[in-house]
Amino acid sequence: MEHDLGDDVAQLRTELRRLVADHVPPDFLGAFTDDPADLEVAQRFCRVLAEQGLLCAAWPEEFGGRGASPWAQTAVREEMWAFHEPRGAQYMGVNWVGPTIMRHGTPDQQRRHLPPIARGEVIWCQGFSEPDAGSDLASLQTSARRDGDEWRISGQKIWTSYATMAQWCFLLARTSKAERKQHGLTIFLLPMDTPGIEVRPIACMMGPHHLNEVFFDDVRATDADVLGEVGDGWRVVQEVLSFERVGIARYARVDRLLQWAPIALGEQWDALPEELRGRWARMLTHCRRARLLAYRVVALQSTGQVRPTDAAAYRIAVTRLDQESAEVLMDIVGAAALSSDDGRRFRRAVEDHHRYAVAATVSSGSIEMQRILMARSLLAAS
Amino acid sequence: MNIDLTDEAQEYGRTAERAIEAAGGDALVQRAEADPARRGDAAAVLGELGAWDLDPLGSDDELEAAAALCRAAGRWAVPYPVAERLSRPGDLHVDGLVVVAGPAPEAPLAGLDLRWATIDLDGRCGMATPRPLSVPARKAAFVTGLDLEPLDEGGSPAAVALGLVLGCWTLLGMLDRAMELTRAYVVERHQFGQPLSRFQGVQFQLTDAEVERAGVEELAGYALWSIEGQRPDAVEDALALRLAAVEAAEVVFRTCHQLHGAIGFCDETALSWLSRYSQPLRRLPLGAAATRDELSRRLGRRPLAGLFDGTGAGW
Repeated sequence: MEHDLGDDVAQLRTELRRLVADHVPPDFLGAFTDDPADLEVAQRFCRVLAEQGLLCAAWPEEFGGRGASPWAQTAVREEMWAFHEPRGAQYMGVNWVGPTIMRHGTPDQQRRHLPPIARGEVIWCQGFSEPDAGSDLASLQTSARRDGDEWRISGQKIWTSYATMAQWCFLLARTSKAERKQHGLTIFLLPMDTPGIEVRPIACMMGPHHLNEVFFDDVRATDADVLGEVGDGWRVVQEVLSFERVGIARYARVDRLLQWAPIALGEQWDALPEELRGRWARMLTHCRRARLLAYRVVALQSTGQVRPTDAAAYRIAVTRLDQESAEVLMDIVGAAALSSDDGRRFRRAVEDHHRYAVAATVSSGSIEMQRILMARSLLAAS
Repeated sequence: MNIDLTDEAQEYGRTAERAIEAAGGDALVQRAEADPARRGDAAAVLGELGAWDLDPLGSDDELEAAAALCRAAGRWAVPYPVAERLSRPGDLHVDGLVVVAGPAPEAPLAGLDLRWATIDLDGRCGMATPRPLSVPARKAAFVTGLDLEPLDEGGSPAAVALGLVLGCWTLLGMLDRAMELTRAYVVERHQFGQPLSRFQGVQFQLTDAEVERAGVEELAGYALWSIEGQRPDAVEDALALRLAAVEAAEVVFRTCHQLHGAIGFCDETALSWLSRYSQPLRRLPLGAAATRDELSRRLGRRPLAGLFDGTGAGW
């Protein structure tokens, strides 16, 4: 057995940490805060990564990547999430919009969209959820109807992250009524400055830019904006969701915070209740468990296999880890006086983690949906 | 990166599983409980497979074979201390080694005419004489008190880790089987005109238990690799595995019993036997809370190895 990711990955990690240390302030807590400077940090950092071929490390060289291995890609995901995702909203384009366009886009769409993503110049948002179509995504009502050679799109999307800053939308709309609601759905790649699109931010506990409503009022699109076949959007979305399910290495931030805790507390660590230190040790175990479950999915994917059970098991474990670790870390922070610069940074990072963890079991496919997927697969195997 | 046992070890495990089945499978533990003199029936079968010639700390291949063997034994709740026999140290004239803790050490070693050594979590060794069972095997699952005689020699951390880790591989085999039995049961059993598996309440319990089981499987591989690589944290890695395994066992067996309903308590189901014979593995040498405390005590301020141990974490 071998659980070491190898020298190449270790070298990549070192390179990424050096870039983070050089270009990301130590108190950075993500691009989407009340301070616009944080967004600028992320935009600059993306350009730095892009210059090094690291923004899209796993992409083929022809599209601006390094052709890196799935394990290298995993290390990038881990390092970025651990340091509060200094790529900002770019991860969406890098992790799944780009790969989906590579698989289903026309040569024109690939030429148009992939280089800007690889250069870190463009932000995408995902137009999936609607007020009456959350977990039951296939029930969406946003319609695209034929109007001569064009399409006219009308409807409402909700929970759309980064819509206020995105230049493009990866939009799922209904182009025909079919017997099965999964049929008749089509993907459009739409510029967000198209007339008829209106974005309204939703204030939320995670901070600005995370949640928005997007309204489409008779928005014009062309056949050139359609990704894949008309009516075949559901199949493509299933692929997108599978990219997204392993896309965020949530355990990496938990790992960093748990490892940071005794350092930030210093001598105060020994004064913590024994029971709390025991919970900390337990979370370290759960963190390792989630990481290894993620590696199982990567190992399978790297040999071309996809087992829904494994991806769902990882997602269930890692989202629960996010929330349980947040409670333990908040208790640790609450039990100590953190007056040093490092202590204050740690406290802020934990507080941020706690707010963000609340959404872990809801966003990108709720934990209930993961259980449904997993049960389907488990019971089919009986 | 290779997170699976070698093909040879996996094949060895499958061979052992078939051999145990051919020797009686679930009936082995039932016979041993009725007639404790038959506890050793499985030993002969495993001996024919060369189990007692394995030297798990001698080579990675043999360590992985030992792990696969323990998992196979766990699937059938083999009423024999397979992990303890495989943990036998090469430098003592004994038949097996058991990890002990606490002021009144116990182990499921009753009724076997074998020589036993012990090792505690700090590496102190002893010779053990198992006392005769004072209660029927049905209640004791062959667990008995040990009379210890300290030895001057100290054991290696690898020996401690091996003893803990092989026990967890046995428990993993039990979890595998309990989940398989329960999956099959909820598909077959109809209530309200449909299989139990159609009810979302049933599905969700099953998935949560499976997440626990799958997590143990991955940590078991990691802890094995830690021993193979003679990593300095091998004991902490073994304790981390043990903590996850005993917690998982609580969830898995609770869920499996719940979903089986009353039939799961009946001795006509394998679940009843697996559940009872999982107890020694879950409580000894340390239960869940004591394992967590021991892990925490050993870690102090130094976390388990992760992505950010050492330098470069950015704080």
